[in-house]
Amino acid sequence: SFTQGSKLEIPLWLAKGLHDSKRKIISVEPPKIYKEAWRTVFSADANVVDLHKMGPYYYGFGSQLLNFDNPENPEIAQTTFINRFRRIMDSSQNAYNEDTSALVARLDELERALFQAGQKGLNDFQCWEKGQASQITASSLVQNYGKRKFTDMDG
Amino acid sequence: MEPAEVEFLAEKELVTIVPNFSLDRIHLIGGDLGPFNPGLPVEVPVWLAINLKQRQKCRLIPPDWMDVEKLEEVRDQERKEDTFTPMPSPYYMELTKLLLNYASDNIPKADEIRTLVKDTWDTRIAKLRLSADSFVRQQEAHAKLDNLTLMEINTTGTFLTQALDHMYRLRANLQPGESAQSQDF
Repeated sequence: SFTQGSKLEIPLWLAKGLHDSKRKIISVEPPKIYKEAWRTVFSADANVVDLHKMGPYYYGFGSQLLNFDNPENPEIAQTTFINRFRRIMDSSQNAYNEDTSALVARLDELERALFQAGQKGLNDFQCWEKGQASQITASSLVQNYGKRKFTDMDG
Repeated sequence: MEPAEVEFLAEKELVTIVPNFSLDRIHLIGGDLGPFNPGLPVEVPVWLAINLKQRQKCRLIPPDWMDVEKLEEVRDQERKEDTFTPMPSPYYMELTKLLLNYASDNIPKADEIRTLVKDTWDTRIAKLRLSADSFVRQQEAHAKLDNLTLMEINTTGTFLTQALDHMYRLRANLQPGESAQSQDF
């Protein structure tokens, strides 16, 4: 139970359900990263911000927040993405056969999916160029079964 | 598309071979091929040329453009211009890979050719990424890129379309009238 005027943390889905611009049961205060103070950080260098640490679904969550009639700067998500796009594109399409964990560490989930798409394009091309596209290889699923030799089996 | 599919399409391109066997004209669904006479050059699709070469039934004649001087010109042109130069073949990457892998003994200065083509490819892909970045930054609705080959489009296509989808959704979120449906209770 709670009293009027108190501050609570509730999940987004609940906030969405309770929100109604006409009846104003609740007012929503967005997490810090979506507020004015962070805007200076973003405009200085959007690539530096660790979007994964700040809530791994920056863009998705940010889009949902727009439902709550908050007067914060709504274009920041778009501007941020535009500024980070180049680096995501270049790193995903240049890193071949490397450990990419450092590159994706500061990306939010959506950016990571995009990174994967870029990697796939690169990997498929490199694989083809080396002539591996037409080689038959064991499926990775089978390789993970933990090989047991025929002679080792019981019975 | 997979690069292998793009390569499959590339294999329909014609290339000249010199067979060492005889065969009357053959009629395939895609068209007629041959006749084949030893020592006489004949044009066939790349898929057949590679097959015959592997069976040691012919030697391959490299296409006109697969020549060090010509490719140097192409590479230099590509580096000079901001836009994409027309390529000597819409499948230059695939044909280079296929012919150099299976018939490098028939192609003079094969290693140099491989390097030149790769350099040209790298320049073009870099230009493509530059275009993509400025497209996203300026939030354009429409772009026209001439003279790109299918393999280039295929390598960066998935990434680009996904990014643009995302941009679209972010932009749509800013439009008024996107309020959530809520239940009255």
